[in-house]
Amino acid sequence: MENIPKTEEQPTTPPPERLAYSVQEAADMLGVNYFSVYRLIQRGKLKPCRALRGKLLVPRTELLKLLATE
Amino acid sequence: MSNPFEHRRPTELEDKAHAEAVRHFAEHLKQFPASREAVERLERDIAKIALAANMAAARPTPQQNIILADDGAQWHKNVELMENIHLCHRPISYAVEYAVVEHFPARGTNEIWNRGWNAGEVVKAFTQEQRQALQIWTEDMTAQVKEFLAEKFPGQDLSRVADAFIHKCTTQAASQKHTLTHGHEQNHSRGVRV
Repeated sequence: MENIPKTEEQPTTPPPERLAYSVQEAADMLGVNYFSVYRLIQRGKLKPCRALRGKLLVPRTELLKLLATE
Repeated sequence: MSNPFEHRRPTELEDKAHAEAVRHFAEHLKQFPASREAVERLERDIAKIALAANMAAARPTPQQNIILADDGAQWHKNVELMENIHLCHRPISYAVEYAVVEHFPARGTNEIWNRGWNAGEVVKAFTQEQRQALQIWTEDMTAQVKEFLAEKFPGQDLSRVADAFIHKCTTQAASQKHTLTHGHEQNHSRGVRV
């Protein structure tokens, strides 16, 4: 019987933190519905940036800022 | 925006692309009409809400309905406008001040959105802001759908599909099923200002 060589276990490194999230992802992270995120944007509580085609992205720093004031 | 498929039937590719967009953005199709209808209800009922608020302000408030808002003042919960959002009041000497206050369960805070001495005006200002939020949502959804279609069907002009999707989302009733485009749009309500 052939010995199956053991594969060396690679140390797992956590994926790098993302810089921005879609509105859906932001809503999931905050535990609110989509409309709440758009309302926070409308009020200036979350300052989004825009991707190339105009899609809104919520920077991670904005989410952290919002949560810090929580 | 009118439904572009009312005038010319969608091609096979457009049908397929539309079906994929509907599947991919199902949550938008569910949440947007419900939110829009909630705002429309508020707009329709401003006078009723103001009357109810005035009457409630004349009565004593149960202790459990008194909250501390982010301005440091105590407010009396009055009429529920949306989930976790109330029209509140607080008596000040011989007058009553009104405010729309949102409760953020995650942080346990109560944040004031709008305030003033006229309940109707306060609710009206709030609904106007909700309209603006719906508009931001519509613009973002349009961009998301266009991006999705461009990635899924590179090199194809699917602008009619994107337009039809946004038309469906912004005009259909919240309870309506997400069926395909042509022929089904005739019954949708029209002229919704978003």
